[in-house]
Amino acid sequence: MTTISSAAEQPTAAVVAPPAGRPDVNRKKLARLGWLFSAPALIFVAAVTIFPILYSIVMSLRNVQVSGGGIKMTGITGANYSAVIHSSVWRYALGFTILYTVVTVLVELVLGTVIALVLERLTAGRGWMMALLLIPWSMITVINAEVWAYIYQPTYGVLQAIFQAVGLGHPDVLGTPTPAIIGMMVADIWKTTPFVAIIVLAGLVMLPGDVYEAAEIDGASGWYTFWHVTLPLLRPTLALAVMFRVLQAFGLFDLPFVLTNGGPGTSTTSLAVLGYQAMFKNLDFGGGAAVASTTALLVLIGCLISLRTFRVQVGKENT
Amino acid sequence: MRNRKRTGWHRFINGVNISTFLVALFIGLPLYWLIASSFKTPVNIGVDPPQYFPDPLSLSNYKSAFVDYDFGIYFRNSLIVTLIATALVLFLGTLAGYALGRLPMRGKFPMLVALLMISVFPEIALIAPLYILLEHLHWLDSFQALIIPYTAFNLPFAIWILRNYMLGIPKEMEETGRIDGASPLRTVWSIILPQALPGIFTAGIFCFTACWTEFLMALTFNSSNSFRTIPVGVSLFGTIDITPFAQIFAAAVIATVPIGILVFIFRKFVISGLTSGAVKG
Repeated sequence: MTTISSAAEQPTAAVVAPPAGRPDVNRKKLARLGWLFSAPALIFVAAVTIFPILYSIVMSLRNVQVSGGGIKMTGITGANYSAVIHSSVWRYALGFTILYTVVTVLVELVLGTVIALVLERLTAGRGWMMALLLIPWSMITVINAEVWAYIYQPTYGVLQAIFQAVGLGHPDVLGTPTPAIIGMMVADIWKTTPFVAIIVLAGLVMLPGDVYEAAEIDGASGWYTFWHVTLPLLRPTLALAVMFRVLQAFGLFDLPFVLTNGGPGTSTTSLAVLGYQAMFKNLDFGGGAAVASTTALLVLIGCLISLRTFRVQVGKENT
Repeated sequence: MRNRKRTGWHRFINGVNISTFLVALFIGLPLYWLIASSFKTPVNIGVDPPQYFPDPLSLSNYKSAFVDYDFGIYFRNSLIVTLIATALVLFLGTLAGYALGRLPMRGKFPMLVALLMISVFPEIALIAPLYILLEHLHWLDSFQALIIPYTAFNLPFAIWILRNYMLGIPKEMEETGRIDGASPLRTVWSIILPQALPGIFTAGIFCFTACWTEFLMALTFNSSNSFRTIPVGVSLFGTIDITPFAQIFAAAVIATVPIGILVFIFRKFVISGLTSGAVKG
């Protein structure tokens, strides 16, 4: 059972039962207290996130000029968006980001589930394996990127040494478009598969044992049990893992920035790298904001679609 | 079924153990490569074929990372920003989590869903407006340039985790406090807080990790060397032509140790946070 909240349906009145006598007064007082306690956090979050989101949307709809004295916005225009949509670089970045997201999340999901199934059967040393799995998760992505940059290094990297030893020549992984994309995916998969494995393992451990006993009595094969019992029961766990992974992968920035700087050419330029380059290299804040806003919109749509597909209701019991 | 007793090391050879070993290898080899390479001399790190075991073992990269590449500054900055942001998140998040979890507020559910949405919003969408805002305030190149957004971005997830823990505390506990006439803040401090401690650890370790590893905002908001954090500092080691991997890896090992220790100590809380539903990587 993995839902965003398992107790959301509990009537709140039961959580804090008003003492008999003046229930309404007390309830109102507690509600006021609630807003008092949560206001600092909520205002803080709103001021730093919601206001900038709106500002970003406004900026994407105006002519923005950056000069020494700061930025100037004039008129209302759809030019930023039409420039973005008609740009082949943006279209490529969109395609690359979607491809990258789909491939990495799929591989991580399958590998993570396999690892979780293996570790569930592990009798000794599971704690140590969990600790090992947590290291890539907690590692700085930039450092992960540097490790793989060293592995892929074309003249003294360990990968080219291995390739050479078995007679496959010198690959320049990060200097060739398709290998660069694959190499980046491998770095991502190394860092994030353990994270998926931990989530799935925790989901597996929580599954009810009697279902398995029933399946065993019915003479179901291991594969059948996995496909028809385990997987459906795991769906809420997997759905949330997938959703958060998709959202994260869609914001891909650190790996290409360090590994390839979006290259060779623009072959590993993700939407986030493109938006960053537009804003901070070309000082095109309007265009950058348009890239950023479209990315955000796509993320929002993707989020809603995946919630619907997996029929997960945020905050509602779902098992 | 015939029960053949296997003896010696043969009994360790089975599918599960072999697969586990392969998994450990898959995760462990790049880690080994990082640690081993940090001890190679700057010359030996660039030889082909590579040295699989550093010989001689050299500590010079560790010294060089601090002396030649200002790693001490980056480490200090990362520590300041991360610790203050985490403290703020835990303070504000505990109060809000308590309120949203246990107090009868109307409209708190839409609020929680909105928070969840915000916590997964892509950073890139907020970089430009935040940059302009910080520029207006003359706060670019400062600690608050990172502390404020880090606090705001990590609060939603922390509130969710803390709220879920708060829901599980029996209501009799705080009623005792109320009958004793304790003030609301006092009730939170002395009755709720000790009960919610696992949740606070969980939220804390997630916030710490997120701040310690954040790259995009640190890169854009703090361009001056004296305010760079570890990820930005390390990514900018060296020049366009030369990547000083030896020093980078020495710095990387030092940067990974604090978080590694924290995660190891609090691994139960990390795992419970990953599985409490609000999953975030």
